[in-house]
Amino acid sequence: MDYQFDFHFLTGKADMLLEGLWVTLQLTLYANAMGVVLGFVLCLMAMSKFRMLRWPCQLFIEFFRCTPVLLQIVWFFYCIPILFQVYIDPITMGVLALGLNLTAFNAEAYRAGIQSVPKAHFDACVALGLKSWQQTLYVVLPQSLRTAMPVLLTNGISLMQQSALVAIVAVSDLMYMGKSIAVDAYRPLETYSLIALIYFLMALPISHLVNVFERRQDAAMQR
Amino acid sequence: MNTAEVVVNMPPANAMEAGQFIQLDNVFKAYNNELVVMDGMNLDMRADDRLVIIGPSGSGKSSLLRVLMGLEGIQGGDINFHGQPYIKSENNDSKVVSDELHSRVGMVFQHYTLFPHLTVMGNLILAPMKVHGKDKQSCIAKGRELLARLGLEDKVDYYPSQLSGGQKQRVAIARALMLEPELMLFDEVTSALDPEMVTEVQNVMMQLAEQKMAMIIVTHDMHFAREIATRVVFCAGGKIVEQGTPDEVFGNPKEARTREFLDKVLHLN
Repeated sequence: MDYQFDFHFLTGKADMLLEGLWVTLQLTLYANAMGVVLGFVLCLMAMSKFRMLRWPCQLFIEFFRCTPVLLQIVWFFYCIPILFQVYIDPITMGVLALGLNLTAFNAEAYRAGIQSVPKAHFDACVALGLKSWQQTLYVVLPQSLRTAMPVLLTNGISLMQQSALVAIVAVSDLMYMGKSIAVDAYRPLETYSLIALIYFLMALPISHLVNVFERRQDAAMQR
Repeated sequence: MNTAEVVVNMPPANAMEAGQFIQLDNVFKAYNNELVVMDGMNLDMRADDRLVIIGPSGSGKSSLLRVLMGLEGIQGGDINFHGQPYIKSENNDSKVVSDELHSRVGMVFQHYTLFPHLTVMGNLILAPMKVHGKDKQSCIAKGRELLARLGLEDKVDYYPSQLSGGQKQRVAIARALMLEPELMLFDEVTSALDPEMVTEVQNVMMQLAEQKMAMIIVTHDMHFAREIATRVVFCAGGKIVEQGTPDEVFGNPKEARTREFLDKVLHLN
């Protein structure tokens, strides 16, 4: 291989990379906040005994699980303005598309968590006089959250990686900035390697956190 | 284990009379409209009764407790508590009609059912605080007192997973007692325990019995049943086949089915 690596040109692009990184972080954090909260609400609605509530929620989950996330992003960016005459800034639109996708996946993680709460605990709740919402808040949520945490964190990491797809619709995230730098400098190898390293360094601690949670979960199950 | 007495909530004096405490009137219950577990059950329990229900599997023993706790509905009949409607059936369904009466019943289950994400104290104070709106400090003080009386004062900050089976079951009893019930339901509470832990739980129940707490106990331990009961009820096929004092039922059962059952289980014991 006679390729000469040259990373020096990237020092002059630090501000662009930081700007892109900040957008990626915003997309990741806001979409995760949305997915963690709305995922639980959607899960409860999808498990409701009322069909009229359950069916649309299940359809929502299946739609987001069964279509490519890239398609969802493109659809949000191009179709929502046409259909509803709504023009939202690109980052908010990205958060919405990614957040709703994550909501669907997290709802499934919560469902698994709720189903792992022993039925006898619901009986105990009734025996103690806890109202339905109190059962959910004080007994079901903490237990299902603990069980679902490794999956929620994994989904969170995946979302950070998928957030790179918004570059396709010109949201100036880390990937978009990297693409611009690579094209300007004709140095795709160095640029994309650095971008990959940044994503890797952001995801690695969370990935370790998942392992810690899984070990704790295993230990708790064994006791 | 500390054997100090556990203070229990006593029902009013008139509840000692027939028809003034728990009264089942022709209660019918079936699962999926097929498996009949309570077939026109009638029962009159007085507040000074300690009812032990015995019978083969599927005879309706646990179903009776679950119905009384409002965990399952009935398809026919009514249940009164303190002479007032407690559970009413209508159109093949039923509901607990009085939350106030429901709060006077406590239940302990076979498999502890402690909430694993809460400490022992967290388990004890959850319902008094969230359901009855009591302040945290008084709940903690009461919880400590109860735990001390049940020999668990050093387990306040433990999680259920750090306790033995017997300790978990005693915490479950303490959790139910925190709500000051007038009637305690015990559903095979020692069945899942190792033999050496059975005694520590039975000792707690004996303490409650000495305090004249009204209780309904489902158990397969005939020796314990004889020791704790004021009245023994034998169920089979969803019906009450025979009832009487422990001496009557264990010593001289009138019904052939009771004799057959007791022969089998006493032989096994």
